[in-house]
Amino acid sequence: MNYMQYKMCANCVMDTTDSKISFDADGMCDHCQTYYRDIKPKWHDDEIGWKEIVKITEDIKKSGEGKDFDCIIGMSGGIDSSYLVYLAKEKLGLRPLVFHVDAGWNSQQAVNNIENIVDKLDLDLYTEVIDWEEMKDLQLAFFKSGVPHIDTPQDHAFFATMYKFALKHNVKYILTGGNYSTECIRNPLEWMYYQSDSTQIKDIHRIYGTKPIRNFPLTNILWHKFYLPYIRGIKLIRPLDYMPYHKEEATQFLVDHFGYQRYSQKHFESRFTKFYESYWLPKKFGFDTRKVQFSSLIVTGQMSREDALKKLEYPAYDEENIKHDFEYIANKLGVSVDELQSYMDAPNKTYRDYKNQMWIYEIGSKILRALGVEKGGKR
Amino acid sequence: MIAIVDYGVGNIKAFVNIYKSFNVPCVVASSKANLEGISKLILPGVGSFDHAMLSLQNSGMKEALDELVLEKEVPVLGICVGMQMLAKSSEEGARPGLGWIDGIVKGFNSSTIKGNPLPHMGWNSLDVAQDSYLFEGLDSVPRFYFLHSYYFDCNSSADVLATASYGDRFACVVNYKNIYGIQCHPEKSHHNGAKLLRNFGEL
Amino acid sequence: MLYPRVIPCLLVHNKGLVKTVNFKNAKYVGDPINAVKIFNEKEADELMVLDIDATTDKREPNYRMIEHLAQECRMPLCYGGGIKNARQAKRVFSLGVEKIALSSAIVYKPELIAEIASEVGSQSVVAVLDVKRKLFGGYDVFIENGSKKAKINLEKFLVEMNAQGVGEIVINSIDKDGCMEGYDLDLIDKIKPLVKVPLTVLGGAGSYEDISTLVERYGIIGAAAGSLFVFKGKYRAVLISYPEPSIKTNLFKTVMEKS
Repeated sequence: MNYMQYKMCANCVMDTTDSKISFDADGMCDHCQTYYRDIKPKWHDDEIGWKEIVKITEDIKKSGEGKDFDCIIGMSGGIDSSYLVYLAKEKLGLRPLVFHVDAGWNSQQAVNNIENIVDKLDLDLYTEVIDWEEMKDLQLAFFKSGVPHIDTPQDHAFFATMYKFALKHNVKYILTGGNYSTECIRNPLEWMYYQSDSTQIKDIHRIYGTKPIRNFPLTNILWHKFYLPYIRGIKLIRPLDYMPYHKEEATQFLVDHFGYQRYSQKHFESRFTKFYESYWLPKKFGFDTRKVQFSSLIVTGQMSREDALKKLEYPAYDEENIKHDFEYIANKLGVSVDELQSYMDAPNKTYRDYKNQMWIYEIGSKILRALGVEKGGKR
Repeated sequence: MIAIVDYGVGNIKAFVNIYKSFNVPCVVASSKANLEGISKLILPGVGSFDHAMLSLQNSGMKEALDELVLEKEVPVLGICVGMQMLAKSSEEGARPGLGWIDGIVKGFNSSTIKGNPLPHMGWNSLDVAQDSYLFEGLDSVPRFYFLHSYYFDCNSSADVLATASYGDRFACVVNYKNIYGIQCHPEKSHHNGAKLLRNFGEL
Repeated sequence: MLYPRVIPCLLVHNKGLVKTVNFKNAKYVGDPINAVKIFNEKEADELMVLDIDATTDKREPNYRMIEHLAQECRMPLCYGGGIKNARQAKRVFSLGVEKIALSSAIVYKPELIAEIASEVGSQSVVAVLDVKRKLFGGYDVFIENGSKKAKINLEKFLVEMNAQGVGEIVINSIDKDGCMEGYDLDLIDKIKPLVKVPLTVLGGAGSYEDISTLVERYGIIGAAAGSLFVFKGKYRAVLISYPEPSIKTNLFKTVMEKS
């Protein structure tokens, strides 16, 4: 029901499936404008960036003296976190604990990649396994709620678990593979609302959940964006932003040196995320996250707009196998294929249909941007 | 259309799942009526020879199968005990087999298997004796899962497509005209098994 | 030539996978379906899934879970837990399972093996024996997830198993369970001569070397393991692993060269 005439950015491939998109006189979308105006000038992946990360590295090493490890690195098995682990150990000389959260959806490639990298770099691994019965219930609740951001339970669990672990073991530095190089253009909020908003999670669970939340890790935006960094001194670092990070080069490097197995798309290390981003989101809502990912690669010069357009001609999901994947997801969630289909066919909702803490994010975002702490960001 | 003969013996679901994963249509035939218009047959089988032959007899499909296979020459793949049923008879039991391939089923005995346990259970390599489309795209030394205590003794070596070795060498894939038999379990042999079943579907 | 089998063994407790140490302190390891799917993608030789509280809870096997697991397996699946009669066994087979494992049910009723074997074939019936070292030598058999000592003699019982026509015997060391310090080789030395059918050992594997030691010593045998394929490193981080084909072949090199 799109009354807006279809239009695509002249520079990247974001288009009016993002209903809040706007274009300037040259047809360039506001995502690109934000990148060129706010992010690019302040993003240093050159000598300035290197000097900064070296300084941060010294702080990390100091804070870890006498301990078994000096930082934790969240590793999903995806390319960003995998490459980060290599950089942290081999280029920055850190002693990280590799931290993996198992939400029950690991693909064989993810598990293989984590094993190879941990073994070859001789690092220690810690895994937190999320209670599957609770995760399942929460994921089903999100399906039933009709909102687009049904991967929130996984995303939220990853961060909440890592932060709780850092707090418990007095680890001051968490390193993540988040980066501007492949993520400078973000998923619109309308597509993927803030996964850290626990008010939203609790409300959706209250209405559609069937099991009490006992073991599932819940955090909230104030706790991890304010309390942890400013009161407890636990910092989140994104090392990939401080040095040149070229996705295809990094991937090939890992393939050549670590027996890394490629995924067909970003985030596909989780079977659920693969299903969600390649099929559920586009089919039910018309939101194709490849547009966001390709657009980031376009503005950072890693992909041409023509290549992106060519790829977008085909669906993101594998047409031959989608029926089996659909069945697998249904089986694993303990529902019938028809029931899962019924969630697909139900009316689309948004985050506004449920309780949320959007007002905190809006204020917080303004403050952080004014302070120069955050560049760009979701909208 | 491929039909998986369900006469109460064998892992029917495993075959259905494999063909489903290739998007190759197949049906489960549990009565004579289900065999109408069938162009290929899979005959699974586990357990004892007599039990399998009796079950097939009781299913009411035996005569229809004889006609499809011997007269209409529909390709058929007998699997494990399903392969043994293709023979004239088996040392394991008293009932006659289908007699579709010339040979009898014999038991491994302690002298042939040289102190190894029975049944022959586990992954073993298949040695191709004659080319066949069934083996198209398999590993150069493909491994399959075996679970049996008896083997098919072909009267004619021309009917032996592949052998395996457990103590002595024995026929593990046989073929006469449109009739094929495989002793191991392709439905439980990962990529080589899935490919072999897919190849059979494309014959 | 026949290769030794390397078999991940998964324990199900309250619908989730767990790992124990000496049959105690079940640590949650995650969702069974995804674990089975990963082992299938890694092309494991076989898989054993044991529901450790079906018998003690006196309930039927979880047929729905079994069906979903079987659907993910392109290799033989052995299911055990709560099977007491031929009706249950047949139902489990119909879901796409190759072998069923019996433990508590056969200790006082060994004829159950022959009963089930007559319907489905003896190769599909597996006896799992959980054993613990006695104070002054020898081994006791335990039932109901290691909670009750059975009043039977292990050696005599193994002979009885052969007579009943069992298809495979799995011997599980409670003492070594979860310790990752190696298999109980004394135990295997003791019982292997009595077992005429394929034998699989479980309990204690901590490294691939333990598997190659086993194979070198006993030739064709099944090497089953839980912790080895589910934990990694000093923090026992949960991560599914399984040796790649080239690594597996290397483990069996000396045995394969002999045959």
